[in-house]
Amino acid sequence: MSTATVVVRASRAEWSRIWSVRSSWFLVAAIALAVVGLGTVAGLDVANNPGQGQEGGGTAWDVAGFTTMFALFGTVAWSVVASTTDHATGAIVPTLQWTPRRGLLLAVRSTVITATVTLVGAALVAVASLAVRAVAPGLELPLAEGARSLGDTAMVLACAALLSIGLGLATRSTAAAVVIAVALLLFLPVFMGQLPYEWAVTVAKHLPGSSALFLILGNDLFDDLTATTARLTLVSWAAAALAVGGRRLVRSDAT
Amino acid sequence: MIRVQGLTKLYAGVPAVDDLTFDVESGKVTGFLGPNGAGKSTTMRMILGLDRPTAGTSSVGGRRYVDFPAPLREIGALLDAGAMHPGRTGRAHLRIGARSNGVPLARVEEVIDQVGLGGAAGRRVKGYSLGMRQRLGIAAALLGDPPVLLFDEPVNGLDLDGVRWIRTLFRGLADEGRTVLVSSHLMSEMQLIADRVVVIGRGRLIADEDIAGMLGGLGGRRIRVRTPQVDDLANALGPDVTVTRSGPGELEVGGLVASEVGELAHAHGIPLHHLAEVEQSLEEAYLSLTEGEVEHQGQVLGALGEGASA
Repeated sequence: MSTATVVVRASRAEWSRIWSVRSSWFLVAAIALAVVGLGTVAGLDVANNPGQGQEGGGTAWDVAGFTTMFALFGTVAWSVVASTTDHATGAIVPTLQWTPRRGLLLAVRSTVITATVTLVGAALVAVASLAVRAVAPGLELPLAEGARSLGDTAMVLACAALLSIGLGLATRSTAAAVVIAVALLLFLPVFMGQLPYEWAVTVAKHLPGSSALFLILGNDLFDDLTATTARLTLVSWAAAALAVGGRRLVRSDAT
Repeated sequence: MIRVQGLTKLYAGVPAVDDLTFDVESGKVTGFLGPNGAGKSTTMRMILGLDRPTAGTSSVGGRRYVDFPAPLREIGALLDAGAMHPGRTGRAHLRIGARSNGVPLARVEEVIDQVGLGGAAGRRVKGYSLGMRQRLGIAAALLGDPPVLLFDEPVNGLDLDGVRWIRTLFRGLADEGRTVLVSSHLMSEMQLIADRVVVIGRGRLIADEDIAGMLGGLGGRRIRVRTPQVDDLANALGPDVTVTRSGPGELEVGGLVASEVGELAHAHGIPLHHLAEVEQSLEEAYLSLTEGEVEHQGQVLGALGEGASA
């Protein structure tokens, strides 16, 4: 039997794992409510205050851009839950009985979870932008800008998902992984960037949250980020976290 | 066939399994016995690749578990009935297993019927009793129709019907030529189910033989006899026979069969009120084998009370 066959089977099982529990559906509903709902509110605000949206950037993509932050939090929560639930419930025992090649399981699990949460998150941000356009017809919705914006959104969400999965596998604790991920992606970049110490600012500059904020909102907290360095920083953090979490999955006893 | 060779597992330097070697043969139900903490579950987990052995190897049909691309078709196992997502339905749990190993989904319905889960399969696992979880775990083990099966304490939580069903199931699986390894604390059950037993204590092998051999190790056949003339009977049995007083007017005789004891009593005109072979149990054999190997031991309340007042 070829490895490809095993990968396809494991991927189908992983897809079923995600969608056969209510928590996934609740998270999708919550992310949709936050992203599309708040995007619509922002669109209404622009519609009721002509000129505001145009001053802020001029397109529905720009007005809805902030909703990516909610998609980001949803991505973190969903990825952590999906990667830790086996360990929290003991279901890692049947999982590894059914797919004992741990390296393969790691690759399949991280790919399926990341693809799922990224596509859902990016799609909801796209829907939020369409909702903004629907309630504020004065705003433009240029396709080229949309593709670039959604591409960056997908890239940030995918890296956040991989980072969260890595943390989830490393800690095997939903609470611990969420706290660490939120700290790295939001709290620490802002907090440490404000500290009057050069080393703290240097650290903050290299945290994944700084790069995520730059790519999502265009906010450069340190005035020297570029799209390339931001992407590189995000990918490096995601790879490092996945390496640490993957090592624990592959080498440790199943608990 | 399952082969365990020199398997060792240390936790912080303390051996949970210590240089364990045994084989589990096809076509037999092999009981895996030992006190709490003896290392039975750890051994099974290492066979299934869940825990990494500190030393030694285990194989199924000559291959390591992790080398099977579709392990459900080779080995079915129930280790911990609680080890499943409580928010998933029983059917969804089985479907994930089926998809991961290329087992047709129709087989899921077959094993649901086979274990008697029926309508409960559509309910979430958190609403299951322990017995229902055991049945679901057994269904998962049977999913790939494997030639080798491992069960860790499978009768826990099962009602009498469930216990009888599992007895028949295991016997049937072994009679079909499959390899069945079952751990249990219920010696009476193991005596009924197992053809062979592997006994471990403190992670080490204590015994590996068939049931008859285990029972024979207790000192052979004994006869219980009741008579109002115990002294006369003891004398009549002769010096080569082992005789012990087991109660008022009661003797236990070793070295003779029941008919020989009856004939001797009759020849000496000694009336007998009871004459029967003593039923030897696996429990007695197990207790005598594992004496001193028990990790955690309780005390009777009286003894505790005396200790407290001393």
